[in-house]
Amino acid sequence: MGNRINILISSVGGQGGLSLSRMIAVASGISGYSVATGETLGMAQRFGSVKSFVRIGLGEKVYSPVFSLREADYLLCLELIECTRNLGYLRENGRTIASLEVKPPISMSLEASKSKPNYSQYIETLKSFASNEIIFIDPDEVRRAAGTIKAVNAAILGAFVSISNLFEDKVILESMREVLGSEKAIESSRKAYELGKSLAKNKQSLA
Amino acid sequence: MELNPLKMSKGIRVALMGNEAIARGALEAGVALAVGYPGTPSSEVIETLQRYGSEIYAEWAVNEKVALEIGIGASIGGARSLVTMKGPGLNIASDPLLSAAYSGVDGGLLILVADDPGPITTQTEQDSRWYGPLAKLPIISPSNSQEAKDFTVKGIELSERLQLPIILRTTTRVNHSIGEVILGDRKIPKRYQKFEKNPERFVRAGMSWNFERHKWLDSRLKETEKISEDLFLNSLEGDGRKCIVTEGIGYQYVKESVSMENRDIRIIKLGLVFPPPLNFLARSLEGCNEVLVVEELDPFLELTIRSYAKELNLLNVKIKGKIDGFLPLEGELSPEIVRSFIFGKKEEDVMKTELHVPSRPPPLCPGCPHRNSYLAILTGISKAGFKRKDVPIFGDIGCYALSVYPPLSAIWTEHSMGASISMAIGMKLSGFDKPVIATIGDSTFFHTGIPPLIEAVNKRVDMLVVILDNSVIAMTGHQATPSWSETETGRKTKEIKIEDVVRGIGVDELRIIDPYNLDEMASAVAELLKKKGVNVLIARAPCAIYEQRRKGRPGYYTVKEDLCTGCLACIRATGCPALYVTENGKVRIIEDDCYGCGLCAKYCPTDAIVRGD
Ligand code: SF4
Ligand code: SF4
Repeated sequence: MGNRINILISSVGGQGGLSLSRMIAVASGISGYSVATGETLGMAQRFGSVKSFVRIGLGEKVYSPVFSLREADYLLCLELIECTRNLGYLRENGRTIASLEVKPPISMSLEASKSKPNYSQYIETLKSFASNEIIFIDPDEVRRAAGTIKAVNAAILGAFVSISNLFEDKVILESMREVLGSEKAIESSRKAYELGKSLAKNKQSLA
Repeated sequence: MELNPLKMSKGIRVALMGNEAIARGALEAGVALAVGYPGTPSSEVIETLQRYGSEIYAEWAVNEKVALEIGIGASIGGARSLVTMKGPGLNIASDPLLSAAYSGVDGGLLILVADDPGPITTQTEQDSRWYGPLAKLPIISPSNSQEAKDFTVKGIELSERLQLPIILRTTTRVNHSIGEVILGDRKIPKRYQKFEKNPERFVRAGMSWNFERHKWLDSRLKETEKISEDLFLNSLEGDGRKCIVTEGIGYQYVKESVSMENRDIRIIKLGLVFPPPLNFLARSLEGCNEVLVVEELDPFLELTIRSYAKELNLLNVKIKGKIDGFLPLEGELSPEIVRSFIFGKKEEDVMKTELHVPSRPPPLCPGCPHRNSYLAILTGISKAGFKRKDVPIFGDIGCYALSVYPPLSAIWTEHSMGASISMAIGMKLSGFDKPVIATIGDSTFFHTGIPPLIEAVNKRVDMLVVILDNSVIAMTGHQATPSWSETETGRKTKEIKIEDVVRGIGVDELRIIDPYNLDEMASAVAELLKKKGVNVLIARAPCAIYEQRRKGRPGYYTVKEDLCTGCLACIRATGCPALYVTENGKVRIIEDDCYGCGLCAKYCPTDAIVRGD
């Protein structure tokens, strides 16, 4: 990993992938890093595949808002099927943080009469593909800690900050304020963020 | 602390999306009026301005042509204005665009047109730079958020100096990327100054006046490079003999590649893409032994450079770009494509995962009333005794076009705004003897659906028109329609009722129905299909997502696992994305996503789907 950090956020529209990329972008701005993100907004926003690119330059300028396959230092996933779809972006030794949530697309459910779906295969694929241990986030745990599954993105953010050491907590809080707006959302996101951080820390101390 | 980037003061550095930066630029340029029609990727400009406050007018217009004419009207009175739209929107507004070039403007007029290489959300990959030579108007093209803001300010300035409207042309990767922006000072909005009667200039009925104005336009256009010189729209970096000419997002890909490779390469970046800044190009291209042109979509700059090869002293220099097939004509560029174009490297094959990952085209949302409407239409066709394959459903532009995907597989066409009704007319008039159905959303109907309905009624063409009225422009992010009584900014409006318009046109029969009453709507479709004349059904129910955001959802449903037989009737009928099949072959509802419309429950033979609350 050089002085430019590439992050791919992979989600299903409506899950909060865009807020996650936005929070990282704002936090980067506050921290004085160079930042560029590339999003696909619009029709694909709701229940379609959403891919957000975030690029951070530490003491170095980033230009392109997007990057190519096998260039992601971090793959942050809010959904397992989308995570698998975008595995090709992960670079060797890149890190993956993935929520265990599965939202099968309609095309898959329509096929389900032919063969029963097997979702654990996605976890296996992720594990076999990634060279580093993956940090999995259990959405039910997030719901218990934060009161809503909508805060999964903040849990992923917590785990990401914990392993990347890119941001101070107060910077993240400021970016949550700017991006999320409502007090309620900030509060649940803050709790989920702490959960994500501790999950990642436990992982690291075990390793 | 001030969190609204439009209100922050000068000198502050913030991360802004390209469209937010354009909105900020509008304030720094002293724009008094911003108007547009929503269209991805342009919509966030007006949306951002609407959150600013009432100092400037920032509202949606009924369509792009009207929006541009509003901008022109303001600008000939000396006010500064910004008009926004996506690429296809400019096709609709092209008529006033060409005339505006002849009359010119007094207050700055900047027209944002956002193209969509990829395409990511647009019906065509049109390259709107061609409107430069077509309308004979200057085009400027920013490459990141900072320039998006700065070029908005410069564009207004250039417009006033040249007395011409200026096109600010962007692409999705500029509009929807976030990057750092250093803010400048806001100016007091420049409102109406004066408007003097001047028919030679403003009336296009006098042919000799038009001829004179054409000459005037050509002379102004010729001045563009000189007059824009101190705005520093173009830039030159490096001094190698391998030269790259680029613009827009292409520039960022070039910079990324060159900074990684650290090689001596000359980068000539155009901010003014039309008319070509020939003096700048001649200066910058001196001594080059190879010229690579990096641009998305059409070889617009490449053709320019090739056609001026003699003037630019490039007759013996190889010019590479799209014409010889080095770069693709379709789709987006990427850092990778640009890198291998410049350095001739082939990227290694990408590791593939073993697993087949199913595609995820965007579905209609859970609880979407359009799902009910199309199910009712399909059921109605059968009820009327027709086969589904015999009755074409003409579609239009909006979320409801997503009904094309299985399991509904409903619409047969989706073409251009308002085309559902007109194309149905054409089919009938050419001798098609079965019934036809046109389906069109409420805002698309207001936008360009009214003239074709007039045509259908006037020419006595038999058809069923279903207006899918969810009372909002949903696909582009829920903007106001003329049926609202108050806009996003709190401006009180006179609401326009679709039924009044339809009745006024004189259709044979009009019914208004709630599509959640599926059976009732299916019967209505069946009846109206068999009737002669132009019959209109307004299927009215609010957009589920929008309603949920404002009022919360009506409830949710859940599946009783022991009752579910795994027949999948629910999924096959509705295709609702809140439903999925678990590993044991039974269906589950993602309760957080369910809207509680109850549609799936109607199709379950074992009553396994019940209310969860
Ligand atoms: S229709 Fe009823 S029984 Fe059939 S899969 Fe759906 S929930 Fe299960
Ligand atoms: S009730 Fe059924 S069809 Fe309606 S939103 Fe919920 S899962 Fe979808």
